[in-house]
Amino acid sequence: MTLVQQSSTTSSGSGSGNLYDVLELILDRGLVIDAFVRVSLVGIEILKIDVRVVVASVDTYLRFAEACNRLDLESGRKAPTQLTDIVGEVTENGAKGKSKGALSGAVEAITDSLQGKREESEEEPRKRPARKSASGRTSAARREE
Amino acid sequence: MPTYVYAIVSADHPTSLEGLQGVGEPPAALRTVSAGDLAAVVSDAEEGLRAKRRDVLAHEAVVESLMADGATLPMRFGLLGPDDGRVAEVLEHDGDAYRARLTELDGHLEFHLKASRDEQDLLREIVAESQEIRELNERTRSGAGAQEDRVALGELVAREVAGHNAEQAEDTLRRLLPVATRVARSEPGTGHFLNVSFLVAAGSTDEFVGAVRKEAERGGDACTFTLTGPLPPYSFV
Repeated sequence: MTLVQQSSTTSSGSGSGNLYDVLELILDRGLVIDAFVRVSLVGIEILKIDVRVVVASVDTYLRFAEACNRLDLESGRKAPTQLTDIVGEVTENGAKGKSKGALSGAVEAITDSLQGKREESEEEPRKRPARKSASGRTSAARREE
Repeated sequence: MPTYVYAIVSADHPTSLEGLQGVGEPPAALRTVSAGDLAAVVSDAEEGLRAKRRDVLAHEAVVESLMADGATLPMRFGLLGPDDGRVAEVLEHDGDAYRARLTELDGHLEFHLKASRDEQDLLREIVAESQEIRELNERTRSGAGAQEDRVALGELVAREVAGHNAEQAEDTLRRLLPVATRVARSEPGTGHFLNVSFLVAAGSTDEFVGAVRKEAERGGDACTFTLTGPLPPYSFV
């Protein structure tokens, strides 16, 4: 099994560790006051790319066909190709700080691999189109858009 | 100068803002605007404020900190009122609705779960299940097959992928629902079969995390579950 558990985005001085996974919540949910305006979100529409559903299109079909074609050639291999992406720091980060012990920390916590690296960045936050999983297990199969 | 709104809390919330900073550069100072038994945590908003990483993080840090001290209604990022006076008017005008939500959310936290299954693993299962898919796959694999066979194969497989994903999502949700108070689903992005937020009672978080862990175990090596939380209840306000 693979369970990546992330405590909240800003606690424990982990900087922007898990921001990507909750960006859609902060930007698209939360309470609004109808009469008030919102600051411009220009530049972060890219968020939607990752949230986009796989649409029925010839392109999608061809991609699946190709993936199936390739599959047979590779299926004999009990491939541990999945493990190539482990670049994240593994830290004890089980719901410390602000969460006030709401979690027991019984499940090991692995913070996102981008932790700390981008704190200085003034860039608008971008949803990575094909996020590297902190566990490294899924990204091999993810299509880069 | 416009007033940026972070969250709405009850007036008896401690709203300890020490050590916290607002949006903007340099970071704006935080303050509260009170009206009756409600208060909004706000700051000034500089001209041309945009959704920069620093600002989104500041917003999140303020809301998380408030959440830790009591029921909090998190605002969506980037909400600007004309001035403090208008914020107070809104608190007064819509006070009943805010109070009701604060009561409802008191003692609850949000957890966000994304789950995915390795695509090759899923495709292997799909190919194994269907004679028709296997035949089309054989025919197109050598590169000699017609384009329409390729499209037909892809269409069949795409339908199966969607079906399997939906089924796995429903199964997973059905088993997690009993330990959550409420659920808010989103469209899963590419590669995921589940993208969902749960509202969980603070006393049930261990049980909830345990249930998610069980689902991750059930999914086996091919599945990755990413659980983030506890978070402010963005999806349930």
